[in-house]
Amino acid sequence: MEKVARQHIIEDLLPQKFGKQGRLWVASLIILCLIGLFAYIRQLSKGLVVTSMRDYVSWGIYISNFVFFVAISLVGSLITAVLRLSDVNWSTPLTRIAEIIAVSAITFAGLIIVVDMGRPDRFYNLFIHGRLQSPIVWDVIVITTYLIISCLLLYFPLLPDLKIMMEFKEKSNTFLLKIYRFMGNYWKNKPEQFRISEKAINILSITIIPVAFSIHTVTSWLFATTYRPGWDSTNFGAYFISGAFLVGAGGVVVAMYVFRTHYKLEKYIKDEHFDKMGKVLVMLALLYLYFNVNEFLVPAFKMKKPEKEHLIDLFTGEFAPIFWFAILTSMILPIIILLFKKGRKPKAAFVAGILVVIGSWFKRYIIVTPTLLHPFLPMRDVPANYRHYYPSWEEWAIAIGSLAGALLVITIFARIFPIIPIHETITETEEHENTHSL
Amino acid sequence: MKIHIHYRFLLILLMMVSYVVHAQDAEKNTLLLGLKYNNHNNQEQYLHAQVKSKINGKFQMIEGIKLKCYISDETVDANLIGQAITNGKGEATILIPASVQDVWKSSPSQTFIITSGKTIEYDASRSDLTITKAKIKIDTAEGRIINANILALVDSVWTPVKDADMFVGVKRLGGNLNVNETETYPIDSLGAVAAEFKLEAIPGDKNGNIVLIAGVYENDSYGTVTAEMSVPWGEKTVYVSNYDERSLFARRGKSPLWLELMAYSIVAGVWGVLIYLIIQIRKIIKLGVE
Repeated sequence: MEKVARQHIIEDLLPQKFGKQGRLWVASLIILCLIGLFAYIRQLSKGLVVTSMRDYVSWGIYISNFVFFVAISLVGSLITAVLRLSDVNWSTPLTRIAEIIAVSAITFAGLIIVVDMGRPDRFYNLFIHGRLQSPIVWDVIVITTYLIISCLLLYFPLLPDLKIMMEFKEKSNTFLLKIYRFMGNYWKNKPEQFRISEKAINILSITIIPVAFSIHTVTSWLFATTYRPGWDSTNFGAYFISGAFLVGAGGVVVAMYVFRTHYKLEKYIKDEHFDKMGKVLVMLALLYLYFNVNEFLVPAFKMKKPEKEHLIDLFTGEFAPIFWFAILTSMILPIIILLFKKGRKPKAAFVAGILVVIGSWFKRYIIVTPTLLHPFLPMRDVPANYRHYYPSWEEWAIAIGSLAGALLVITIFARIFPIIPIHETITETEEHENTHSL
Repeated sequence: MKIHIHYRFLLILLMMVSYVVHAQDAEKNTLLLGLKYNNHNNQEQYLHAQVKSKINGKFQMIEGIKLKCYISDETVDANLIGQAITNGKGEATILIPASVQDVWKSSPSQTFIITSGKTIEYDASRSDLTITKAKIKIDTAEGRIINANILALVDSVWTPVKDADMFVGVKRLGGNLNVNETETYPIDSLGAVAAEFKLEAIPGDKNGNIVLIAGVYENDSYGTVTAEMSVPWGEKTVYVSNYDERSLFARRGKSPLWLELMAYSIVAGVWGVLIYLIIQIRKIIKLGVE
């Protein structure tokens, strides 16, 4: 009986070939990536002048995108580490989704920074001229560390699944088998191997939490250590981390729904998961809303002159539509939807997740750009267009290309590896059945 | 038809009236030109012009006004000493060039004329200033006493000035500082003043030099006349470079030790764990091969 159940789980969870929709999805992503690549080649050959970034706005949508990627990558630590260490078993089917989102997002966060530098060889200067006192150097160290930890956290639980996939040769092709053998040929399901792997996963789960907090705190310090209206805040670390957990959880809900419907995983990613993730999302949205109130109410109460210009621009001025759109979609609407039980059903939760992700992207834009347009010491005699920022098509193409790239990495990963951990699911099912039979 | 013609006539009349009213509204503003003479150290003689106008009941300094300055009482090209355009504060400075030294030396007093041309917004304007040439001599005596006397040129003879107050001070970055509690000194019959330097521990240059200044400011007859001299009465300023000091704003490799200790221990701690985990992968590989 157990063998039959195991067989079913494996067949359900083994990676599936792309259908017509899948191929169309991959083709669209590749096209977007190629357009982004073309725009990047133009930027490389003509210089950063092809962007709309000038002396005032020197951090445009590239940096907004970077902060967004760093934020969404934090979900790896939330789902995999925090929930695992809290003995929350329901999160098992979501761990790999969270981890691959983390790995792809943090990879593209690193890449988009290189894009923002203009000439990529400037990255080398960071190593030969970088100062330890600079938060930019800390960011490079922390991002690299977080990427390695996330990769390891993705890799260790994958080892038993690689063995299973190698056993089911008929479900794979030669190329995939080569990948599986290269990555996990040495895994023999020995108890000692399991023991070491479990221990490693526990160590990683503990290590990733401070590193994850560091990565987004350091990112927030890139702003907070710069004396500018809107960034001059001691609250920024906590504000960024709460926002990051929110967008990460939103991203996982979206991915859960897509994988569940596309791969027919209703037996594994259940309504219960959406209900629980919905509750997590509400809590995180309320927390982020609290930090937002703090972040805007206190300066608005004092209304110091440079802050006033910045805040009025956000509340009622040029950036008001984006500001209120971001607040509504990333926090208010998801809270309203997810507070109700019906709102935590898969489709409604998916909509709330989408709102969170889109709203959060614009929220990052609102954090980065308007501040740069209101320096404490305005420049004299700058051209009028320096005082406004609207990204050029190259910036849009590169930003959208990078987002498509992150989605492509997740899609290809799901084609090669099981998106729900097979071995862990089998073990938990067996444990569950044994408990019930007792 | 007649009524129609009348209407047309009325309309033209109305337009003419409105034109006249509008023309009255668009009257040009008057520029007020101010001129001041300065003689510094009996070496630099220059004129300082100020241009303002009453607009909407308030005086405003006017930027961008082209000024011409003449020596002597005739505005002919031969007497032109310079042209200038007013800055954002409505001010302009014109040096008295060496080319007009013959005219300058010809008389103990001089008249300067400043003019501005007619523009779309302003009428032409003119102002003049007559000064008597004067100079200040500054010296020091034992006991840190500063002696200064002012002389005016009367019939080719430098004669002591009696009817003025003189400031004696020390030059600082933000302005001039009194050398004691007295701000200005009345000039005696010899045109002289004596001031005691009472300031202590005032920062000077690397050799302790400070600059003393004596001056008569905006006098109706002599304009502004000042003289300076350097004395080693200040504290020596020693420049200490902090280029090699460790600080949060220092160069690469000079970060504070506490930061280095913290940062490197965190990096070493986390990467130590990662290296340990990579060793664990090697162990798992070994177990698989056995």
